[in-house]
Order: sequence, then C-alpha cells, then structure tokens
Amino acid sequence: MPSLLVILIFLPAAAAAMLLLLDAKAPPVRARWFALLATIATFLVSLGIASQFYSVQRTPPSVAGPVHPHLELKHTWMTLVAATEDKPAINLEFYLGLDGISLSMVLLTTLLTISAVLVSWTAISDRPAEFYASILILESGLIGVFCAFDVLLFYVFFEFTLIPLFFMVGIWGGPLRRYAAGKFFIYTFAGSVVTLLGLIWLSLETYQDSIVQGTPLSTPLSIPAIAAQLAAHGLPVETQIILFLMIAAGFMIKVPLFPFHTWLPLAHVEAPTAGSVLLAGVLLKLGSYGFLRLALPMLPKACEQVGVPLIGTLSVIGIVYGSFCALAQNDIKKLVAYSSVAHLGFCMLGLFSLQPEGINGGILQMINHGLSTGALFCIVGMFYERYHTRQLTELGGLASRMPLLAVAMVYTSFASIGLPGLNGFVGEVLSLMGMFKRDPILAIIGATGVVLGAWYLLGVLQKAFFGPLQEPPHHGHEPIPDLNAREMLALAPLLAMCLWLGLFPQPVLDLIRPDVESLTRLYGHTQASRVLTAAQSPVINTPATALASVAPETDQ
Amino acid sequence: MNESLQLLNGAIHLVLPETVLLATVCIIFFAASFLVSERGEAPEGLRHRWGMLSLLALLIAGWIGWHAPEVPHSTGPFVADGLTLFIRGLTIAVGAILVLLHWNQADDARSAESHACLLAILAGVNLVAAANDLVGMFVALELISIPTYLFLLLPRRDAPAQEATLKYFLLSIFSSAIVLFGMSYLYGATGTTNLMAIHQAFAGGSHLPHNALVAVATVMLIAGLSFRLAAVPFHFYAPDVFQGAQPSAAAMLSIIPKIAGFVALLRLMVPAAAGESAMHSWMMTPTATNLLWWLAVITMFTGNLMAFVQTDVRRLLAFSSVSHAGYMMVGLVVGMQASQQVSGIGALLFYLVAYGVMTLGAFAVLIAAARTNRRIESLDDLAGLSRTKPALALVLSVFLFSLSGLPPTVGFLGKFNLFFAAWSQGSESSRLLACLLAVNAAIGAWYYLKMIGVMYLRDPVDRSEDVRPMETPSVVAAAVCAVGTIGLFFVPGPLWSHIQLLVQ
Repeated sequence: MPSLLVILIFLPAAAAAMLLLLDAKAPPVRARWFALLATIATFLVSLGIASQFYSVQRTPPSVAGPVHPHLELKHTWMTLVAATEDKPAINLEFYLGLDGISLSMVLLTTLLTISAVLVSWTAISDRPAEFYASILILESGLIGVFCAFDVLLFYVFFEFTLIPLFFMVGIWGGPLRRYAAGKFFIYTFAGSVVTLLGLIWLSLETYQDSIVQGTPLSTPLSIPAIAAQLAAHGLPVETQIILFLMIAAGFMIKVPLFPFHTWLPLAHVEAPTAGSVLLAGVLLKLGSYGFLRLALPMLPKACEQVGVPLIGTLSVIGIVYGSFCALAQNDIKKLVAYSSVAHLGFCMLGLFSLQPEGINGGILQMINHGLSTGALFCIVGMFYERYHTRQLTELGGLASRMPLLAVAMVYTSFASIGLPGLNGFVGEVLSLMGMFKRDPILAIIGATGVVLGAWYLLGVLQKAFFGPLQEPPHHGHEPIPDLNAREMLALAPLLAMCLWLGLFPQPVLDLIRPDVESLTRLYGHTQASRVLTAAQSPVINTPATALASVAPETDQ
Repeated sequence: MNESLQLLNGAIHLVLPETVLLATVCIIFFAASFLVSERGEAPEGLRHRWGMLSLLALLIAGWIGWHAPEVPHSTGPFVADGLTLFIRGLTIAVGAILVLLHWNQADDARSAESHACLLAILAGVNLVAAANDLVGMFVALELISIPTYLFLLLPRRDAPAQEATLKYFLLSIFSSAIVLFGMSYLYGATGTTNLMAIHQAFAGGSHLPHNALVAVATVMLIAGLSFRLAAVPFHFYAPDVFQGAQPSAAAMLSIIPKIAGFVALLRLMVPAAAGESAMHSWMMTPTATNLLWWLAVITMFTGNLMAFVQTDVRRLLAFSSVSHAGYMMVGLVVGMQASQQVSGIGALLFYLVAYGVMTLGAFAVLIAAARTNRRIESLDDLAGLSRTKPALALVLSVFLFSLSGLPPTVGFLGKFNLFFAAWSQGSESSRLLACLLAVNAAIGAWYYLKMIGVMYLRDPVDRSEDVRPMETPSVVAAAVCAVGTIGLFFVPGPLWSHIQLLVQ
C-alpha cells in the first residue's frame, strides 16, 4: 500500500492548513497540542512505512541501477512534450519512492520534528498557530525531498522548504531576524536556480543520448531512469564537469561548504530554537543528500576528477576553519552553528571518498549530526529560555543549579565530539577511513577536526557548567528550574538514539548498504558486496566488528 | 467594393463574441446618458448594474466562443484558428476578473463609460487574435488603444491620473505610427495586406527576406509592438502610468497589452494555418532574432534591477511587469528558432496565462486591502498586513511567490517551461538566454520577497481599526486567482496539452 507515502507527505501539510484555519483567538495551548499530535501521527506513519519497507524483498544491488527506490509510486503530472512516431513523450511525474537512505532520513525528520514542537512549547507565545503550521509545512517539504525520485519534483520540494523556514526565522527570530531571513533565502535560492539549470541540462543531455542509442527514455526526468542510462553510457568528461559544477552550486551552499557558509551562523543565531533544530538537523542534509542522490550516481567521472579534489579540499578547510571559528565564539549558539560547518565537512569528506565505507560513514554522519546537533540546539534553547543569554562569559558552574540539564549537555557534547560508544564516533571514523583510501593527506588534515571539536565543546562544558557558579546578573530572582518533563521528553528520544547508534550502528548500515553498494559499483567497488554480506550475521553487532566488516579488503 | 462587403459579411460569424461585446458597449453608452444627469449625478449603486451587465456580456461572449467552430483557413479578413480561440478564452477570463477589480473603482456616474471601455478593449484584443489582414490588425490594435486612454482617465481625474493618461496617450500614438510604418513597408514588399498571402509570398522563396524593405518592416513592427509589451526601451511609461492610474487600470495595463502585443507578433510571424512552422515565417531573419534576443535580455535586467530599488508598490509592480515581458520574450526568441523539444511559443502562451493569474491576483489584493482613506501605495502601506488582514496577506504572498517562480505555484511551472524550452533549443545563444533567465529569476526573487517581508515581518504603521467593509468583488477575484495559481501548478495537464496542440 504505497499510498502511505502520500499520506506521510501530506499529513503534516493538512494539519498545518487546519492549524491556520484555527481561530486566531483560541488559546495557544490548543495549537501546541494539535501540532504535537500531528507530528506524532506523522512519526507513526513513518514507522508504518518502515515496517512496510522491511516486509518487501529488496532487489540485489547487482541487478538494481545506481539509484533504485525500494517502494515507489508514480503518477503523471504533466506531459511536457507529446509522443511522436520516433520519440516517446516527455512526462513530468509525481514519482515518489523510498530507498534505504531516504528512509533513514525520513525517520530522522519525523523524529526531530516532535522535539522541535516540544522545545517551542513555551518559547513561542506570539502567533503560535502560525508558528506550528510553519513547522508542519516544513516537515512536509523535507519528507517530500527525501521521497522524490523525479528531478523536477525533487527540486520543487527542495525549493519549497525555503518558504516556511524563511517565515520561521523572519517572524519568530532574534533581533537581526529580517536580515538573517533575507540572506538565508537569497543565498540558497540563487544557488538552487543554477542547480535547476544544471538538472535540466543533465536530463536533456541524457535524453538526447538515449535517443541516439535507440532506447529513448519514456520518463527523462525520473532519477533512476537517468542514473541507469548514464551508468550504461556516461556523458563526456567535460560535460560532466560543467554539469557537476552547476548542480553542486546549490548543494554546496545548502551543506554549507567553506566559502559559502556565511549565511549559516547568522541564520542559526537568529532562528528560534525549533528553526535551528530543523535547520541543522535536516535542512543542511538536503545539500549532502542532493550530492548523494544526483551528483554521485550520475556524474561519476566528474566526481572523481573534480569532486574529490574540490569538495574534499573545501570540506577539509571547512572542518578546520569551522572548528577554529567555533573556538573563538562567545555565543554558544553560534559556536554550535560553526561546529555544524565542521561536522558537515566530515560528512562531505566521507561521501566524496567514493568508497563504500566512506559513503556509509557520510550517511551515518548525516544522521548523527542531525541527532546530536539537534539535541545541542534544543539544550541551548532551554537555557536561553531560563537566562535570556547565551554568552559564555556570563555563565559558569551551572551544573550545580541544573544537574539534569548539565548531564544532557555533557552527554550530547560527547556524542558530538565522537566519543567511542556514542554515535558521532562511528560516522567520523568511517568517513575518515574512506577518505584515507582516496587521499590520505585530506584525511589526516580532516582528522585534526576531531581534536579541535573536543577542544571547543569541552571548553563550553568547562566554562558554563563547571567551575565557580556565575549567573547573568539580570535574570530575576526566581529560582532557575531544572529540566521539566516536557523538556526531558524532547531530549530523551534523541539522546537514546545517539547511544543506540553508537553501540549498534549495524541496523542502519544494513538499511543503507544495498543502496550504497549499487552506487559504488559505478566506482569499481563490486567486491564490497561479498564482504558486507558477512556483516549480516547476527553475532557481529558491536561497533568494532561492525566497522571491520564494512571495510572491504579491496586487495583481495 | 461589393465583393469586399460580401467577404466581410461572410466573415462576421467568425467574430460573433466580439460583436456581442461591442454591442454591449453601444448599449451601455446609450443607456448611461439617460441614467446619469447632466450634472453628473447618478442613482446610488448604479455601478453594480454596469458591472453585472459587463459580466453578462462576457458570459454570453464566452458561451458563443466556446461553441464556435475552428476555421483555420480563410481568405477573408478574419481567421478563427486554435490560437484565436485560445486567446479569446484567455481574454474573456481575464476580462471577467478585470470587471470584478474595476467594480468599485469608478463612481456611479462614470462607471458606465469605463466598463464599456473595458469591454471594447477586450474585443480589440480578440480581434487582433482573429485578424488576417494588416489593416484589420491595425484597427484592432487601435480599438485597444483608444478606449485605454478613457479607461485610464475616467475613474480618477486628478493631476497624477491626467499625467499618466497623457504620457500613455503620447507614447501610444507614437508606437501606433511606428507599427503603421512597418506595415506599409511590408505591404510595399509583398503587394498585399492579407497575412496569409504575405506568408505565402515569403514561403514561396521567390524573394526571401534579404530585402531592405522587409528588414525595416521587421524592426519597425517589433519596435512598435514592444511598446505594448512594455519591453525596454519602450517601457518608460509603465511606472508612471501604473502609479498615476487607478489600480484596476494598472492591472489591466499589466496583462491586456501584453496579450495583444504577443498575439500580434505571433500573427505576423507565424502563418495562421497550422502545419507550416515558424521556420518559414518572414521575420526569420537573423536580424529579427538577434534584435529580440537583446530586447529580451535588456528587458529582463532593466525590469528586475529597477524594481529592486522601488519603494512604491505600484512602480514595483510596473517594473515587475516589464521584467515578465522579458521572460516571455525569451519564449518568443526561442520559439522562432529551429525545432526543439518544447516549443518556446507554447511556453510563452502558458506563461501568459500564468502571469495573468498572478498579476491580476496581486492587484486584486492591493485593491481589497485599501483602507478607508488610503490606498496601498508605498511599501510602508503594506507593513504588518499579516496582522491587520491575515487572509489577504497570505493570498498576496502566494501571488508574490508565484511571480518570483517558487513552487508550488504556477509561476514556477511557467518559468520552468521557459527554461526548458530555451535550454532544449540547443544553440549556444539560447542556452545563454536560459542562464540569464535563471539569473533574473534570482534577482527578481529579492524584491518580491521584500514585499512579503514587509507584510509579515514589520509592524503595521497605522494601527487604527479599519471599519471599511470588505471589497467583495476584488476579494472574489483574488480568491479565483489564488485557486488558479495553485491549481494550475498541480493540474497543468489540460492547459498545457491544449497549448501543445496549438503550436504543433
């Protein structure tokens, strides 16, 4: 019953529409509960889809194309060019689907949205119905991006996510909100227009090729069809490189990679907590997901020749530069924002190693960063709500005031640093391992980021949570409460997932493995499948062995 | 003489809907003089009657037009091929929305004449689409221009409106003269005024268009018609007129002359009979293509960059209208060149519909959001609209997102089709054009976004309670346009496949 997919995408949007229709003078608590129920319902639907996903036998990677949705749903949207005798029609489609990668991202999205609703419970008192409607619309768009398997549909959802976030930052943000919202919007919009051109060019070029080869594509905009055609007959290298640069333009800004990251700290600092959580947790992943979905499977030569040196270098610069910037911050939220630049650098480094373990690591890193940075932003939001400041110089020794919050912060920081046993470790190690095979120098420089990450996050812990108690002088005299039940509920699932993924990453690796494998076949890694199958044996479930099993012995 | 009269009589059934519209114009002019006293006093609420009458006339015209047969081959003064019928449907739909927008814009005494002028303008556009003869086309173009002067001046007669009208009047007759000049050279080159015969003369290849006469004619016709498109450098009237005229008149100017200009260009370039492609049309000189290419680029950039710095909503929308003319010219340029996956002309026609829906919607909201004593003029008047009139603000932002080309709105699909047509055309120059279109879409997004930002992120300047009742007709129009803007995104199939049939 693939129509669950449609329900999943449109359920949040429908809930948002109902919220907007809600009487403006209704008590805010009604909007909150409604939004919470809607997000929980969406999460349950996504779980239902996951169970459906597992119940269907997967196509083995050797048969599947480079991009192969496991569940799919097609509906013709618009016939762009009608069929003639020698050419089939060009159709735009509502082509929705799910593969392992997108399923994991969808689950991340639906989980994080619940936390996003919970953390804005008391923080948003101005026009709450509209705020929660924005969150839900954003959720719809995000799920849509991950489920879209048509180039145009992908782009539509990709762009659509800008609108709700623009309003969230612009209406409910900090003092510089209007500037931040505008900068965020223009930056990402300008980049993605170039991406759109690149995508149109790519699909037309592929379509022309397929006509020349005598096997014209009937759906020249479907991502699996394009990828399969290109896997059989690649484009010339020069074309691939230009296309790669065009398509990368929008995604590099979204990730964001080093010189294009300037919108991010600003947007993060100004956004309300829920906005930051979703921005860091899911929205940034749209960029790396775009690379994974559109650039890697379709333009293999360009990825090898330009992608690795260019994106690799930029990611490494991002890791080091982002870490140093984070080190220099006094505003904790800005610090976390810069740490995102560094963490996403690891993720891109993994993806562009073009090795199975690297790509696995990159995808894990996407999930991990979503969980741990999402949680970090939640926590930052929580004590900003209490103290109305985020300046490190004004805070100190808060562990004695709020032990629970301190525990959560320490735990999340460790997850983010990549302490073994928590999730960050697995992703970073796999990414670096992959990159080490491709280009050891980049991997070595990148690895310094792990140390720097420990430095700045431990610095925050030391300054704000331990040492002598220091509170901002003007916070009032009422006692500062510790975490309440709602806040714990917002954090608990994220923290639990961090631990679970750190100890048992294998289920997630198993989920994404077939897709990564069919992708890396393009880069000549066919052996991986044999070694990886061994990893399925139930005995191997600890991190160390799981890691060993993902790394294929390529010299065999 | 007799023969010509017979021809004309034989052709009248091809333009029955226009006849209905023009007959209604006569009735309104005639009846109004009895209902309005010499001192200009009219019974209260008279304007509603004129509005209803106009809607009724459009409904009848639409009904007749719906059942009208297609007559693609004709030697007479009119044709009724697919394009004619399409444009007729578009004009009547746009006209109905314009009647709604204009409902309360003119006072009771002057409402009759201005509604009649609107109907005459609509009939003129249809006649341009139906023209099969240079003279007929020129007359039809004048049937648009002359009522437009009245339409600009009648509802408001203060100094800015007078200035706007005068400016429009002078530039309009200037452009008419240029068009006439071009037509006379075309007649000189071919010896006939019948468009079908002109196309046949050129298609025969006996004297292909290296003729200097034809070159002059081409340039003159493009220049003269560019005035109607509001293409740079013939756009200078647009901001002043949009600012000075009544908002409903500005709404009319943003779309109706564009339809007329593009359909006239298409008529002149593409043979009326389907089957012969644009390849054989006489304007297919490299000069014409180059000229239109540059016009499109300059128009897009000027429109967007100038709109960037505007603080007056009406001027901003004027420059936005200029830039959209540029986008549509991209479709024209591309459509004139060799075969491609997606017809540029098809993309242009789709964009005309899309642009009509979104720009009329935007003006409808501006009219509906006016306060008792104050119209929406500067950007500041829009500040905090989301708090004072949340529904209108939401609908206006739908239109603005559509104008900037963001999903899920029809503006996105329109721009996508233009991109796709330009890119699939394959030549270097049209790919460059597609890139420039993309750049402009990004620039354009900024100022539309600025308007949305003003509505949502700023606090209202004037916080006093507004007791003015809702302007029902324009609210209805805005709702219809909003449904169209979003509906055409999700279900573009019927419209698009209809257009595809036209341009094949």
